[in-house]
Amino acid sequence: MAKVAQEMVKKAGVNLDELVELLVNNAAAELTTYYYYTILRVNLIGMAGETIKEIAETARIEDRNHFEALVPRIYELGGKLPESMVDFHNCSACPPASLPKDPTNVTATLKVLVEAERCAVRGYTHICNLTAGKDHRTYDLSLAILNEEIEHESWFSEFLGEGPSGHFLRRGETSPFVSKFLR
Amino acid sequence: MRTFTRKELARYDGSGGIAYVACEGKIYDVSQSFLWQKGKHQVIHRTGADLTEVLKGAPHGSELLERFPIVGSLVDPD
Repeated sequence: MAKVAQEMVKKAGVNLDELVELLVNNAAAELTTYYYYTILRVNLIGMAGETIKEIAETARIEDRNHFEALVPRIYELGGKLPESMVDFHNCSACPPASLPKDPTNVTATLKVLVEAERCAVRGYTHICNLTAGKDHRTYDLSLAILNEEIEHESWFSEFLGEGPSGHFLRRGETSPFVSKFLR
Repeated sequence: MRTFTRKELARYDGSGGIAYVACEGKIYDVSQSFLWQKGKHQVIHRTGADLTEVLKGAPHGSELLERFPIVGSLVDPD
């Protein structure tokens, strides 16, 4: 048990139980998003769908990486994952990124994707705000994830015609910010 | 439209299946929201309360609350 690590967080004034719950809820959001994005990616077909498929796949893999990166921190802080996968799904910090009623409607799928990313951006901003200057390790991890979620949002929002973001898709790599937590 | 005092609003904390929150004098019904399950949002925020001040420090504005039905107004917002 990372006893001193927990003590440092508490001494800094962070409510440890609330922080652990937030991390579990966000880990749930990442793993469930990985699942729902699998369905979205499978259905991104045709002239328009194929254009989106690659970035949907990158976002899917990176969301799984976020889950993997969050789990050790949850246990370091004395938390644990729910035993039931159903409970884990239902405590997600973000709503299910469900396939639109018309799976051939690529714009509708893009809206689901961008809303999921926006929920994540808000969620990690919230954790960064709670931990900044107090829990350096959780802050560092949340900031790394936030950087990737912001890029995901920008990829999808550009396709929705919301304007240029200046970002470009990955070139063979994944998780440029979070990979240091996966070694 | 119905009016609520803070005390009345506090009864709608999600425990009875109905969850309301107030913001800038308006009362929103968030009972059906995935993000307000069990009367909680992002672990630290509770339903049955006026969130006007809390929202100032949140990573989003009141525009997200506007997605929910307005069920009344808060008579003692200050």
